[in-house]
Amino acid sequence: MEKPEKLIIDGKRLDGRAPEEMRPLKIEAGVLKRADGSAYVELGENKVLAAVYGPREMHPRHLQRPDTAVLRCRYNMAPFSVEERKRPGPDRRSVEISKVTRQALEPVLFLELYPRSVIDIFIEVLQADAGTRTAGITAAAVALADAGIPMRDLVSSVAVGKIDDMIVLDLTKEEDQWGTTDMPVAIVPRKKLVSLLQMDGNLTEEEFKRALDLAFRGCEQIYQAQRQALKEKYAIKPEGE
Amino acid sequence: MLYVQNREMVVPGQLIAEDGYRVHEGAFREGKFVYASVVGLADLREREVRVIPLQGCYVPKRGDVVVGIVVDSHYSGWILDLASPYAGNLFVSDLLRRKVDLVREDISQYLSMGDVVVANVKDVDERMRVQLEASEPGMGKVEGGKMVELSPMKIPRVVGRKGSMLNTLERIGECKLKVGQNGRIMIWGRNQQMINAVVEALLMIEREAHISGLTDRVRQMLEKIKSKGGK
Repeated sequence: MEKPEKLIIDGKRLDGRAPEEMRPLKIEAGVLKRADGSAYVELGENKVLAAVYGPREMHPRHLQRPDTAVLRCRYNMAPFSVEERKRPGPDRRSVEISKVTRQALEPVLFLELYPRSVIDIFIEVLQADAGTRTAGITAAAVALADAGIPMRDLVSSVAVGKIDDMIVLDLTKEEDQWGTTDMPVAIVPRKKLVSLLQMDGNLTEEEFKRALDLAFRGCEQIYQAQRQALKEKYAIKPEGE
Repeated sequence: MLYVQNREMVVPGQLIAEDGYRVHEGAFREGKFVYASVVGLADLREREVRVIPLQGCYVPKRGDVVVGIVVDSHYSGWILDLASPYAGNLFVSDLLRRKVDLVREDISQYLSMGDVVVANVKDVDERMRVQLEASEPGMGKVEGGKMVELSPMKIPRVVGRKGSMLNTLERIGECKLKVGQNGRIMIWGRNQQMINAVVEALLMIEREAHISGLTDRVRQMLEKIKSKGGK
């Protein structure tokens, strides 16, 4: 795709959204039978699957912590998730995202309840359209809750950015590519804590404040969808009656 | 002050109560507020709050009866898998209820790999090392029978209030059950068809644990199968 002349025309973005509007969001909990907990998130063209295993015995043993559980996280993009085939396996980018995802989720978990064990999170990006790390965190938080792991709160995550000198919510691939700034944010909604904040590009102090405020509002929508997904999985439906 | 109704579904981080409530499992306190820590049903009883979890793993607790599988042996005992992040350790003397001279006696005659053992959790230390004992009657190595594995969070429903569900299963199913808190259940009986019916009933309990009127549905289902078997 060629670079478009303008990313915002008459106050509407390329896909017809308003600047402060999120892409359509779908969250489903408990989609994988053999995982202890799982979740599937669709955010626009993003399709992300998260699976949680554990707490289980930690192998290799020397990585065990005698007083607490260890959280391990793997973010992986499927080779077919992007237009040009991605070479499979971990690369610099996915190792970094795995690490920031782990750090975004760690503060909400009661890891000290499960000494010597490990909780594994696997995030698989099936289709990517910018903002996969935030969709991954959103999915992983639901998967952790679905696995019955005690948590202080969920974690909700969304990206904000600047395109054509305007602060917008939830960038698409085109906006990420041609825009000036991309800023993924993860939030612990109840206490309004920021557990992930990265930025590619630049913002003035004023713009940053507006962007962060917009991210908080976006995360609130995501948080509601996460809660809804968890409640729906166990909605009362007796069989054969 | 309460923010949810009794038996209402809650998710982690959801506010349940404020001021002066005692907090049990599945919930935590921050300041004067009580929040849920797991997905489950809020169970509110006069100034006490707990959340009945719908999902989760078994964590050994002192006094629990568990069904373990021998996965390893060592000089003076065995390691048992407990369907949990933590394995259990069973010493010979805790199995046989007597002093054992390890030099003279070969302990491999008592248990081998893959054997199923009903045991009691004797102690769990702060590093979650689990000490087992199989000294009470009805404990020790299991002979025959069928084993079913359920989610350990559904075990309270299998037992029922004051053992009501367990009674129903044993009486109508004409079999004997041993329920391990770790989610493993042993079934012994003469009638193969009824054993299978009880297995079906247990799986039904697992699926519908959070829906009320379960004991009646289980009774109906078992009686239906039983009447068919009588023809």
